[in-house]
Amino acid sequence: MFEARLVSSGTLKKVLDSIKDLLNEAIFDCSDSGIQLQAMDNSHVSLVSLNLRSDGFDKYRCDRNLSLGMNLANMAKILKCANNNDTVTIKAQDNADTVTFMFESQNQEKMSDYEMKLMNLDQEHLGIPETDYACVVRMPAHEFARICRDLTQFGDSVTVMCTKEGVRFSSSGDSGTANIKLSQTSSVDKEDEAVTIEMQEPVSLTFACQYLNSFTKATPLSAQVCLSMSPDVPLVVEYQIPDLGYIRYYLAPKIEDDDN
Amino acid sequence: MGIQGLAKLIADVAPHAIKETEIKNYFGRKIAIDASMSLYQFLIAVRAEGAQLTDANGETTSHLMGIFYRTIRLLDNGIKPVYVFDGKPPDMKSGELNKRAERREEAQKALDKATEAGDQAEMDKMNRRLVKVTKEHNNEAKELLKLMGVPYIDAASEAEAQCSAMVKAGKVFGVATEDMDALTFGANVLLRHMTFSEARKMPVQEIHYEKVLKGLELERDEFIDLCILMGCDYCDTIRGIGPKRAIELIQKYKSIEKIVDNIDKKKYEVPEDWNYERARELFKEPEITDVETIDLKWTAPDEDGLVKYLCGDKQFNEDRVRSGAQKISKSLKTATQGRLDSFFKVLSSTTTTTGPAKRKVDDKKNGPNNKKAKGGGRKPK
Repeated sequence: MFEARLVSSGTLKKVLDSIKDLLNEAIFDCSDSGIQLQAMDNSHVSLVSLNLRSDGFDKYRCDRNLSLGMNLANMAKILKCANNNDTVTIKAQDNADTVTFMFESQNQEKMSDYEMKLMNLDQEHLGIPETDYACVVRMPAHEFARICRDLTQFGDSVTVMCTKEGVRFSSSGDSGTANIKLSQTSSVDKEDEAVTIEMQEPVSLTFACQYLNSFTKATPLSAQVCLSMSPDVPLVVEYQIPDLGYIRYYLAPKIEDDDN
Repeated sequence: MGIQGLAKLIADVAPHAIKETEIKNYFGRKIAIDASMSLYQFLIAVRAEGAQLTDANGETTSHLMGIFYRTIRLLDNGIKPVYVFDGKPPDMKSGELNKRAERREEAQKALDKATEAGDQAEMDKMNRRLVKVTKEHNNEAKELLKLMGVPYIDAASEAEAQCSAMVKAGKVFGVATEDMDALTFGANVLLRHMTFSEARKMPVQEIHYEKVLKGLELERDEFIDLCILMGCDYCDTIRGIGPKRAIELIQKYKSIEKIVDNIDKKKYEVPEDWNYERARELFKEPEITDVETIDLKWTAPDEDGLVKYLCGDKQFNEDRVRSGAQKISKSLKTATQGRLDSFFKVLSSTTTTTGPAKRKVDDKKNGPNNKKAKGGGRKPK
């Protein structure tokens, strides 16, 4: 038996919004410690790693480890039927072929439940090594979303250059070039608005805009976003979900060809 | 041409081994293409009003058209193709080749008859059956590839064997061919429909060797024996044993020797001088060019050379050739998108199963895994 309850379904909606751009379907691994999801997009360029801790739920019970294969578009359809302040409960029997979503209005006068068929899925789990990143940049999530959106207009890819002075995002295309530079904030009045850079060595990497824009769909989940980079390894974009867990995106960089 | 009925058998028995994806998901991958196979495809498929495209002297240019545009399509999608041409056929194949020659003769006769009768549909059909990839076709294709800056390799013998060896050595990601015997040679990944026309909107089929073995519940050697039983290019088969029977027999007896010992000889006639042992050797240790010496390089195309080669006697449209050449140059310049699987290693894979109906089919395969997962869940922390 698996059961997980969240007082506000808004969070779950936001979590789903943050992954359904990249993934059509995914396996939710439910265990004692919480719900985990790790999946690559179809093209194997990016990876989503979602972790929702069991203690972040208002009620959580998982007797046996369960892997629930879900179609995310169908799941989104169901969550659309919930109001943001409805309480949501996810339920599944052991060995079930369906999962149930129950919504309860605040005054408990409206109850609805939706049963969704589970899917047969094959998914590979990737081992992600612990890495000390050369640069770790923290900045307001909405700022990052804005930068990605703005730069997409000028080219397909964004080059992120991180130095002690600050971090520079640039893109270029047929119409010209665009550069945005953020400096480390000197005085921290509001923590959420701060830009901080921890740097061991400067890094410059190029990424496809398309994926970065999909990642920024997680912006509503968190005030701050954290970008971790090292030369020639995938970028990590992390959003903390307050009191519940995190969502991390990994993105393979574009590489200049070495074998030509 | 390949192993008879293997594609269907895999689709039936080991559907998990086949994945359908789009061509654009292969960007950044190096892929070995069975050149003879694709040339043949082009000669058959690239036609205008049922006839092959020809140059001013009536020489066929369908294959060049195909190589030129389909290769550009691959490059455009960020794929790095390398063409592998057949060397001399192995002696074992002479039987098969004779049969093909016979069939061609028959087709020729049928064509003559159809021409006499004026049966256009039948003429078209027989015309296609008469298609043969000649040495000239191969040489012209090589010349074109050289001008395009795309590497090609001459296999010592069978192209599929060479491609498979390159995959095994990690030189390329997969083999693009329609012939299923690339799997028999042990290629880890086989890609079908890779060089098909865009207009056909055919998804690329990715077939994984390991998953095929797992799905069929066979070892490597047993799989080779299965392919021989089903019918390969190198020797005869036992009459009356089709794919379904073949897989049952292999699963039960594990090798051709034991099958021959055990089957009802009256019902199934084992061919005289059946050379399955040599066919087996050929699949296990085919004659190939040493993979380590192969150096793959994609270079800028020779635009003027291409124009000279294709637009002179061959009557290609100069504007289109030039724009094609520019596409090749562009595909070389843009930085390629990296892939996550080249950074992170696959640790395990999960298969979720749902519903009792489905579980019944998958029971044998997933039984132990499921149990393990559940057992793990109960472990006290």
